[in-house]
Amino acid sequence: KKSGSPIEEPKEEDKTIEFFRHLTKTKAYPAGLKGANKDVHPAVQVLGLQMSNYMICGSSARLVATLQAFKKVIQSYTTPPGNTLTRHFTSHVLSPQIEFLASCRPLSISMGNAIRWLKLEISKVDIDVPDNEAKEGLCSAIDSFIQERVTLASQVIASSAAEKIRDGDVILTYAKSSVVERALVQAFEAGKKFSVIVIDSRPLYEGKHMAAALANLGMEVRYALISGLSHSIRRATKVFLGAHAMMSNGRLFSRVGTALVGMEANSYDKPVLVLCETIKFTEKVALDSILHNEIAPADELVIPDGPLENWRDVKGLQLCNLMYDVTPAEFLQMIISESGNVPPTSVPVLHRLGNESQA
Amino acid sequence: MPSLSTGYAPNLGVFLKSLKSQQLEASIENLISLLKRRQIKNSRPCAIATAHLLLRVVARFKWTDVGKLLERIQEVGQRLIQAQPREMVVGNIVRRVLGMIRDEAKEDRNEDASDSASNSQLSSPKRQSSDLGHLRNAGGPPTAFSPLRFDSKDVVQAMDSNSDDSFGSKSSANHRPPLITSHTSYAVTNNVPVQHSMFNLLSAMPSPLATPPGVSSPQGRSSVNMSSVAHRAAASSNDLKAEVISGIEEIIDELDQVDEQIASYAQEHIHSNETILTHSSSRSVQKFLLKAAEKRKFTVIVAESYPNDHEATHAAVAGKSKSSLDDSDDMDSDTFLKPLPKAGITVIQVTDAAIFAVMSRVNKVVLATHAVIANGGLIAAAGARGIAKAASFHKTPVIVVSGVYKLSPEYPFEFESLIEYGDPGSIISYHDGPLVDSVEVDNPVYDYVPPHLVDLYITNLGAHAPSYLYRIVEDHYKAEDTNFHNPEFQY
Repeated sequence: KKSGSPIEEPKEEDKTIEFFRHLTKTKAYPAGLKGANKDVHPAVQVLGLQMSNYMICGSSARLVATLQAFKKVIQSYTTPPGNTLTRHFTSHVLSPQIEFLASCRPLSISMGNAIRWLKLEISKVDIDVPDNEAKEGLCSAIDSFIQERVTLASQVIASSAAEKIRDGDVILTYAKSSVVERALVQAFEAGKKFSVIVIDSRPLYEGKHMAAALANLGMEVRYALISGLSHSIRRATKVFLGAHAMMSNGRLFSRVGTALVGMEANSYDKPVLVLCETIKFTEKVALDSILHNEIAPADELVIPDGPLENWRDVKGLQLCNLMYDVTPAEFLQMIISESGNVPPTSVPVLHRLGNESQA
Repeated sequence: MPSLSTGYAPNLGVFLKSLKSQQLEASIENLISLLKRRQIKNSRPCAIATAHLLLRVVARFKWTDVGKLLERIQEVGQRLIQAQPREMVVGNIVRRVLGMIRDEAKEDRNEDASDSASNSQLSSPKRQSSDLGHLRNAGGPPTAFSPLRFDSKDVVQAMDSNSDDSFGSKSSANHRPPLITSHTSYAVTNNVPVQHSMFNLLSAMPSPLATPPGVSSPQGRSSVNMSSVAHRAAASSNDLKAEVISGIEEIIDELDQVDEQIASYAQEHIHSNETILTHSSSRSVQKFLLKAAEKRKFTVIVAESYPNDHEATHAAVAGKSKSSLDDSDDMDSDTFLKPLPKAGITVIQVTDAAIFAVMSRVNKVVLATHAVIANGGLIAAAGARGIAKAASFHKTPVIVVSGVYKLSPEYPFEFESLIEYGDPGSIISYHDGPLVDSVEVDNPVYDYVPPHLVDLYITNLGAHAPSYLYRIVEDHYKAEDTNFHNPEFQY
């Protein structure tokens, strides 16, 4: 159809979207595996693969899995003679792991926060402490970090959010958030009579798992895609959103499509509650969804046997598989965190308090 | 081209071919079932099919009088609308045809009436209206359709309703109580005077030369007309029929050219290096953008409108029709438009969820429509409301591209009634076994976009503010036809 010879040429065409050029492209996972440094621990390699094909997905899940993998790295580590754990481990052992994970999928904000904490912990290890003891100390610190910042935090948030649910409520939620799911389950088990609308989007269909999990418990669940949002939102009485991160300017950084949900909820005057652990708070700010974001491989958008199959051959056609978007603070009514329920404007305050206590 | 002999996967092309060979009643039934089964769907194919069918109805109609013809068309129209009430264009086309028949009939009658009026030198009010009649006739032969057709129709319409009172129209008097007649004419005279007097000023200028001598010397004209009256009585039915048929052909031509006409405005609205967001697949929008691309380079972001229209959208973007083997859902060969990337446009395909994220980079939103309502709101593929809302949040202008034929005089107060729900199987397939049983799935096909989210309409008549659409509705449809399909709601 096209002239025969330049078939090669369009394949080399740059498919980068101009205004996302600054976002480093995620390498597809085989490249990640091949490029893996021999220093990368097997547990981290597995984790990297699982993250890149979304088997482990979601900010909290990735955070926990990363820390668990790092625990294994620590356990299998022995300080080489003539070195100390404090000086050697972070730069020579931990960094390649982190690099590898980041090459599989950009690190989440929560992972970044946790890694920063872990490095701090490592730097605090006394040089005189024997290897074994130091390693044990780090592992138990990781355990208690997970326990405190993720497990307990999500419990507190879930029960706090469950309290907000009243009989007759229709809770609308978007995609999948572990803590939203937990809150809904908790309210359901407390005998509250409400129904749930799960809005979902291509290509991840995370909401489908959420809908299935809730329906299995016997909850009344409706499921719709984001294009049908403006119809579903009218039925809803409250909107629960999960978060990837809360920005310091009160904006919510979450799965792409969340901003639309927030906008429609706002235009129909439905309260929007964000369920977010403080580990996901960041000092970064965002004004739009362009500057900070993640571009997933475009081929994930291609439907098998669909007309897009050979999209790379079509000159001038680009596919954009965006992962996140930024929801303006004015769409959000309340942030439910383990340190209390606050308006979005108080995010930087909570973040500071959290960090000060940690430091 | 699919052969017409096989009934396999019938579509618009097959239907149009079958019209010639089939009995009329069979054709009507055929279209009804095609509409019901959605083998003809979307505005344009529905409009074309309806117009062609009505053409047959008129052609086959055994002439008695105009009232009977109107009744016949109303009856066919009612059946078509019942078959697929949410394809609002079907009703629109029927109303256009009804309105046109009324016009032609009144013109006929007015000619007779004005002749007799000028002949017998009647009292001043009647005299006045007959003058109006002359003026109108001077505006050009009613069957010659110029680009001004709609304007002149407007005038005709306004004046006809004036003359209704003095001359009384047989057909419409049958349908309406007298009180309402006076009411409508009151409303129309109230709305229109400025415009029609302006038009008269302009159109009447060259008329003294063009009009028959009757105007200046009633005597002479009357003699001519007296002799022709008897003739006309016999011939009028045939003339009228021919006029109605050519009127319907006119509508069909309009349907054919509407996208080109809209596209001709494209370069006025798109500047170079712009980023435009559009959604779903639409011939009108595609032609619009292609036309603009002849002169400008720009980027188009396309939201895919999953799950009801994504395949067509992807195909339009990638320029492949292989997935849609039955490529004549639209009119056969011209379905295959040049894909946007081929025209030098950079096309970015995004998911529906990413609309808000990319909106901050968008200069203009161009929406396609399914139907447009008189209040300036529109029905479009699901997700359109979110797009329009996100655009208004970002203060990005929203342009709606639509042919006038999609503009409906119906004004439903419950907009949900316009929304069609599609197959939930396209959202959750039966692979997800247990989920199918336990979860309720919503798949709305359309969204209602309220007028305050729209900045501009571009139709084949030009660009209008949403608040102006009601005027175009009045130009194209007659008030008495608005609710012809459910008479209990008439006024």
